[in-house]
Amino acid sequence: MSERAQSLVLGVLGFALLIAAWEICARNGLVNPVVVSSPSRIAAAFARQWASGDLATDLATSAVEFAVGFGAAMVAGVAIGLAMGLNRFVEYAVDPFVWFVYASPLIAFYPLLIVWLGFGFATVVTVAFLLSFVSIAVNTLAGVHAVDPSHMRAVLAFGGGKRDLVFKVVLPASVPHILAGARIGLGRALHGVVLGEMFGSNDGLGYSITRYAAQLKTADVFVPLITLVVLGVAINQASGLLEARLLRWRA
Amino acid sequence: MGAFVNPRWLVGSAAVAAFLVVWQIVGANEIIRSDLVSYPTEIAASARELAASGELGANALATLREFAEGFAPAIVVGVLLGLGFALSKIVRNLFEPLFVAMYTAPLIAFVPLLVVWFGVGSTSKSVTTFLAAVVPIAINTTTGVRETQESWIRACRAFGATRAQIVAKAILPGALPVVMAGLRLAVGRAIVGVVAAEMYVSTLGVGRLIQTYSTAGRAAEIFVLVGVVAGFGFVCVGLLRVLENRLAPWRARA
Repeated sequence: MSERAQSLVLGVLGFALLIAAWEICARNGLVNPVVVSSPSRIAAAFARQWASGDLATDLATSAVEFAVGFGAAMVAGVAIGLAMGLNRFVEYAVDPFVWFVYASPLIAFYPLLIVWLGFGFATVVTVAFLLSFVSIAVNTLAGVHAVDPSHMRAVLAFGGGKRDLVFKVVLPASVPHILAGARIGLGRALHGVVLGEMFGSNDGLGYSITRYAAQLKTADVFVPLITLVVLGVAINQASGLLEARLLRWRA
Repeated sequence: MGAFVNPRWLVGSAAVAAFLVVWQIVGANEIIRSDLVSYPTEIAASARELAASGELGANALATLREFAEGFAPAIVVGVLLGLGFALSKIVRNLFEPLFVAMYTAPLIAFVPLLVVWFGVGSTSKSVTTFLAAVVPIAINTTTGVRETQESWIRACRAFGATRAQIVAKAILPGALPVVMAGLRLAVGRAIVGVVAAEMYVSTLGVGRLIQTYSTAGRAAEIFVLVGVVAGFGFVCVGLLRVLENRLAPWRARA
């Protein structure tokens, strides 16, 4: 068996063992199935939420919030990172604020966001944006710093302007760093969507989790929860593949 | 600019000072509703009040205890798991996918479930801290051990070291820098996790306090508490750096 196939088989086996052990414990009363739930109960809850359309609605809401929040973070992150990288004074002046946004538990500000932006969509998108844009900005900055100065000199020597410098040298050369930042940013944006929905919204997967938990419907809690875990893994895998594809020319 | 003034520091503090002045003017003159943005002198007054009343101390201590009770076992379990992943291919292939899934999923989504299982008290917060911290520690330990220089291990073997000695003398020291980076990641995740879990539901703690002042619409106190949490993060990361220089002085940065 090839190494790849072996790791795949064992990985699936790991999940299967967990699910089997859980189901057996629940059936034999080793754990309370009402509190802890069980794979079969979760499967039933999944079918129920899928048939009623609740899951699809939650998923669509969260996906749109995620896309808007991360999209805005990508644009703002690259722009801020570029501005910092191209001008030392901008970098020094903006740096402390970037650090504050990165280091503080931003969700604490959710009540202020709700007053400003209203309950729901705009607040959730803003939390996702705030959590996500810093890692993109910081990585873009690192990318600009890593640009080979001889390439810049070449553009200038052949009569290129500042515009050419940015779009023909700095941005393309920063792509690997920007992508690395975007990958971190994707995870943080998903985290932001869930946080925002739990505290500042009545829609989406994050809100569903809190609602079902408050009703002590444990099996139903697992449905949006597992959906989020799968979503997180899928986003991570997809961005990894995209990164590899985009960076092929560097190999 | 003279040779003794670091321009980064100078420009940075000037920008922060300018921001504080504008904030003060905007907030104190109600150009923007001050209950939403507050302003620096009001925040300073709130900080004194929170500290003097003992409210901050009692709640910070509760959060600190939850954090410590979750983080300490996370270090032990994380390093052991990471070693297991790195040294046995079967263990790694069986359980690493589960860990990676846990790592990419938003941790906060698990909190409502943890509260159902462990109650609204401190246990559910310690478990949140543990889960937030154990995953990056285990993953980084695995990476660190895998990146340990082959030559160190060969040198140990050449001098007749046992398997345990190789782990203790070559693999663990070699992995240390990457493990420390994992601890730094873990601190950040765990702090956000414990505070958010307290905000979700709890009886005590800084997150509980944030929630209380949130519903009361008190921006000044929220800023103080956010500052306390961010400050705690800085202290933790600083302590980790000191520890790293102690444990791995050969790597200390000049």
